[in-house]
Amino acid sequence: MTHSARLSVDIGGTFTDLVLLRSDGASFSAKVSSTPEAPEDALVIGMLEVLAAAELRPDGLTEVLHGTTVGSNTLLQKLGARCGLITTRGFRDVLEIGRLRTPGMFDLTWDKPEPLVARRYRLEATERVRADGTVMTPLRLDDVLAAGRFFAAEGIESVAICFLNSYKNPVHERQAATAFAEAFPGIAVTASVDVLPEAGEYERTSTTAVNAYVLPPLRGYLTRLEQKLRAHGVTAPLLIGNSNGGLSSARVAQQKPVFFISSGRSSGAVGALRLGAATDEANLVAFDMGGTTASAALIHRGVLARTHEYEFRAGMSVPSRFIKAGGYMMRVPTVDVAEVGNGAGSIAAIDPAGLLTVGPRSAGAAPGPVCYGRGGTQPTVTDANVVLGLLPPRLAGGSLSLDIAAARAAIDRQLAQPLGLSIEAAAYGIREIANANMVRAIRAVTVERGLDPRDLTLLAFGGSGPVHAADLARTLGITRVLFPPSPGVFTAMGMLAGTVEHHELRALAGRLDRVDAAEVVALSAEMQRAAVAQLTAQGYPAAAIACSYEIDLRLDGQDAALSIPFDRFDAAVLRPAFIAAYRDSYGYTPTDAVEAVALRLHARAQNSEPLDFRALKAGDPGDGEANAARREVHFGRGGAQLTPVLRRAAVTGAIDGPVIIEGPDTTIVIPSGARVAPNATGSLVATLEPVR
Amino acid sequence: MNALDPITFAVIKSGLDTIVDDMAYAVMRTARSPIVRDVLDYSVTICDAEGRILSQAKTVALHLGAVPDAIEVVRSRFAGDLFPGDVIVLNDPYDGGMHLPDIFMFKPIFAGERLLGFSVVIAHHCDVGGRVPGSNASDSTEIFQEGLRIAPMKLYERGRPNRTLLTIIEKNVRLPELVLGDLDAQYATCNIGEREMLRLFERHGDELERYFDRLIDYGEALTRKAIASWPDGEYRFTDYIDGDGFSLAPIPIVCCITVKGDHLWVDFTGSSPQVKGAINATLSFVKSATYLTIRCALDHDVPNNAGVYRCITVTAPEGSILNPRMPAPVAARALTGYRVVDTVMGALAQIAPKKLMAAGEGGNTVVAIGGYHGEPPKPFVFVDMINGAWGGRADKDGVEGITNPSQNMSNLPIETIEARYPLLMEEYALRPDSGGAGEFRGGLGLVRQYRLLAESAVLQLRADRHEHSPYGLFGGGPAASSRNLIDRGAGFEVLPAKVTLEIGKDTVIRHEQAGGGGWGDPQRRARPAIEADIANGKVTPEAAAKDYGSKR
Repeated sequence: MTHSARLSVDIGGTFTDLVLLRSDGASFSAKVSSTPEAPEDALVIGMLEVLAAAELRPDGLTEVLHGTTVGSNTLLQKLGARCGLITTRGFRDVLEIGRLRTPGMFDLTWDKPEPLVARRYRLEATERVRADGTVMTPLRLDDVLAAGRFFAAEGIESVAICFLNSYKNPVHERQAATAFAEAFPGIAVTASVDVLPEAGEYERTSTTAVNAYVLPPLRGYLTRLEQKLRAHGVTAPLLIGNSNGGLSSARVAQQKPVFFISSGRSSGAVGALRLGAATDEANLVAFDMGGTTASAALIHRGVLARTHEYEFRAGMSVPSRFIKAGGYMMRVPTVDVAEVGNGAGSIAAIDPAGLLTVGPRSAGAAPGPVCYGRGGTQPTVTDANVVLGLLPPRLAGGSLSLDIAAARAAIDRQLAQPLGLSIEAAAYGIREIANANMVRAIRAVTVERGLDPRDLTLLAFGGSGPVHAADLARTLGITRVLFPPSPGVFTAMGMLAGTVEHHELRALAGRLDRVDAAEVVALSAEMQRAAVAQLTAQGYPAAAIACSYEIDLRLDGQDAALSIPFDRFDAAVLRPAFIAAYRDSYGYTPTDAVEAVALRLHARAQNSEPLDFRALKAGDPGDGEANAARREVHFGRGGAQLTPVLRRAAVTGAIDGPVIIEGPDTTIVIPSGARVAPNATGSLVATLEPVR
Repeated sequence: MNALDPITFAVIKSGLDTIVDDMAYAVMRTARSPIVRDVLDYSVTICDAEGRILSQAKTVALHLGAVPDAIEVVRSRFAGDLFPGDVIVLNDPYDGGMHLPDIFMFKPIFAGERLLGFSVVIAHHCDVGGRVPGSNASDSTEIFQEGLRIAPMKLYERGRPNRTLLTIIEKNVRLPELVLGDLDAQYATCNIGEREMLRLFERHGDELERYFDRLIDYGEALTRKAIASWPDGEYRFTDYIDGDGFSLAPIPIVCCITVKGDHLWVDFTGSSPQVKGAINATLSFVKSATYLTIRCALDHDVPNNAGVYRCITVTAPEGSILNPRMPAPVAARALTGYRVVDTVMGALAQIAPKKLMAAGEGGNTVVAIGGYHGEPPKPFVFVDMINGAWGGRADKDGVEGITNPSQNMSNLPIETIEARYPLLMEEYALRPDSGGAGEFRGGLGLVRQYRLLAESAVLQLRADRHEHSPYGLFGGGPAASSRNLIDRGAGFEVLPAKVTLEIGKDTVIRHEQAGGGGWGDPQRRARPAIEADIANGKVTPEAAAKDYGSKR
């Protein structure tokens, strides 16, 4: 019989990961080298590889799901379009002035990044809408057209339009965008109301400018990708993972790329959410550790934590996320991922006062860790793990022998001797400090919300997540750690489990106890109609669409709100729910009036053939050696332990640590005092002794 | 490492940094007034049982250096009288505080019977009563005109709120909902600091305090190392405040830094005697301004803790503007703090030029507009703080659209202002030609223009750098001076730097801020940089011809 299949592709800086899910439930994965110059090339190479393995033709694909870093790379490397901005007279510098803060203090050598639109391309139009939405001064269209002529002459490719108070009344933005598009069809236009109809002129202007900046490159990339797929006989629709972890059609991604900047990373968190649902883990920390960074996202009571704004910065420092400084601000729904500049390639060094530090500098893929023998000279986290015996002496697949002696020598000379420590103690120190840094990411998504990490399960993925997860869990008092099938391609897998999403928002204004329940009902129905219309137009039957509602509440006078889910609006129920959530977060019980800010609807359309984590088989058969039996491993400062080493497929029942489990894409470290066992869904579950 | 484990040390250090991050985030999320929740005029820190700062959040630096003196007052006043659940507040500049709007809150953290440390949250309240809305006027002449003075008192006693004190506060401020709401935000934040500190104690036990000592020693060691690398000697600098609002006589701030071995002495002898207007600064505040400026000359990874302060001795003559006697008014003392920063910066630039800059804009300009509006009339108090520009640096231009380094504050969004206050905003922009010329140009100052929509209001402006513009260094030119302008319908007129006056509907107020000073000889400025400035309208062709003539 002929099968169909869904294909998921996650393109990262080093590797392009692909997972194909065949209609009979069989899955196939591949990891191929990324081709940053033309990312679509690696995608096609990998696609042909997994199609061959699954014995399918390209037209057997029903969906191609894609997480892309084109958006984030465009921002990171400043490769975006030449952009212009048209704004209200008197306010062209709002974008450049920003919110004034600096990410660190006492650093007068700091520089603010260049604005995405240079001042000479920020032009003003005479117009004014008041704060209540009434028009004070009509739009002078001539100003818009004159700006367009200047932009055309200057080779501007993409234009953002953002007027003051347009969130209250978009009439002038609409007039300007329409007239501009007619007169200058070769220049892309983004009106702020189309990406962010909310108050806050800097955040709105910045979000619109990012959209304009990223739009031509992302549109170009997706167009090329679709052409290539068609040329290879793929007829399936292309869906792109958005920053919120949902999927949207490629057409939406071409118009509103600002919603797709964190495309891949968020999909991993959604995969964690689905895996959690499949394994009855309602409270999870999704921990992803790669080469240069580690990130954490929170799933609490079955809900993935999301945020409404974030800032893109080249250097990361995440627990201080509230600082609006020196980055490109985007107020778009995003999976709330905390990231720290600490990964397997992070470099260890001693600072001038003798303190051992790790990261944020990374040896990256080139020159890489010392043990790779590719020119790296500074010890990294991977070098420490190799010296401690936690990683195998050969890289996955056996393609590269690791130079343990070189790693030892580098750690000895650069760290152990100056600190007066043994080589193993210094290596263990590197690992501990890396762990302490990564703990900050986890704390940022847990403690900051008043959640005790000890009540959560840690889900470890990414190439290095499983190497560190058990230690991190111990530090935080977490007693359960989950290792999914194929942790190394988990993000691509996450997309297969994702849903197509649509979100609606309606403003409310006033005290919660005075909100008219009938109005809420009417607004909810209106939002539902809009969402269903959107999703059915994309081919999803109404029956497959699920809607949920939230209301944003805050204390009278506050700026930040908490989103409280509800099924049926009842102020008498919502107030105590809000107060309880507030007490959880901030440690006291307010008695003030509660204000309603907005209603939110989240609509999700489920694909008819989603990935079912319950049906997954544990990792692909590796081509490594048979069980290497035993090796000396340092789990702490107490000396080496002769430790069994198993292949993942060989773990069929409960095993007590210490044990090292090697899979084709990662190594799982289980210390003593922990027990690991496979569960019904192909994951391994480690249980740690509670602290004290 | 004195037999302490270096790894545990690093873990505790980052644990403390995380606690203050959590606390700073909590204030922003829970505060009510725009000055706290949008402008972020607050700061948080964690101290040990002796009141030594262990870690500071990335909040207003000018507040934080005043914490040691304030906590000293609390510890001596409440010796033997601190219990779990207690919360102390104070704002009196002559009893631990800085100026009345800044209310300090301290919560002692107990593990059982044992005092582990303090959560500290300082917030600038939008009003604490007194003769002028916003309680920030520069033309008061006695502390008694400036609002409610709170000596160190318990706002909570073993967890129970002090209703008497809360009621006194409620009855003496113009906007009690916002003030009490922001006090709640401070309280919530103190609780978060307490909770997280106790978790740290749970994990590390009795060892914890030994590591606190070591952390402070570590801050001291890094600071001493830096100072020891500086050449011994005396370094002097003088800068000026335009006047105190009553007299136009320039007010000198004079500083002499003595570097000797690994210790610094910073003395302000020669600075002006205390003045009639409300720009006198308490010594604790002067120390704070001095510490933070010196901190800028250190490496960035020096932890911000009490160890840094051990290496610096700050003195100012009693009865001077930098160490006034009761009942001198102090409400607008921030201005004097900024000038202390500029003065110390000028002296330090002779020592560690690569880490410093020419003078920035001179501190924020405060625009306060208050009155009654609507039917029935309701009180409003609008307080805006205009920031800012940095001066040119040793290898690059000054930043523009940036907080003064003594703070880390944000701005009020135009759309928030228009939605909440009877004001229409007419301009918010960079001010061309305001940066001082130099090989590395000073940053441009900002322009902010407001139109009053209410029938009438009291306007209070606190600006400076009208007369004494921000200095350049090493051959760089000074920045353009600032200007206050008013249009009552017949065109713009210039107002004094510091002024309080009644205004009517449709009055337009405009502030043009000074920029940052330039660094280095303008003749050495690279041609592409000059051309880019002209293309971007940051420097006019006329000014470029005048400042950089030979290059054109």
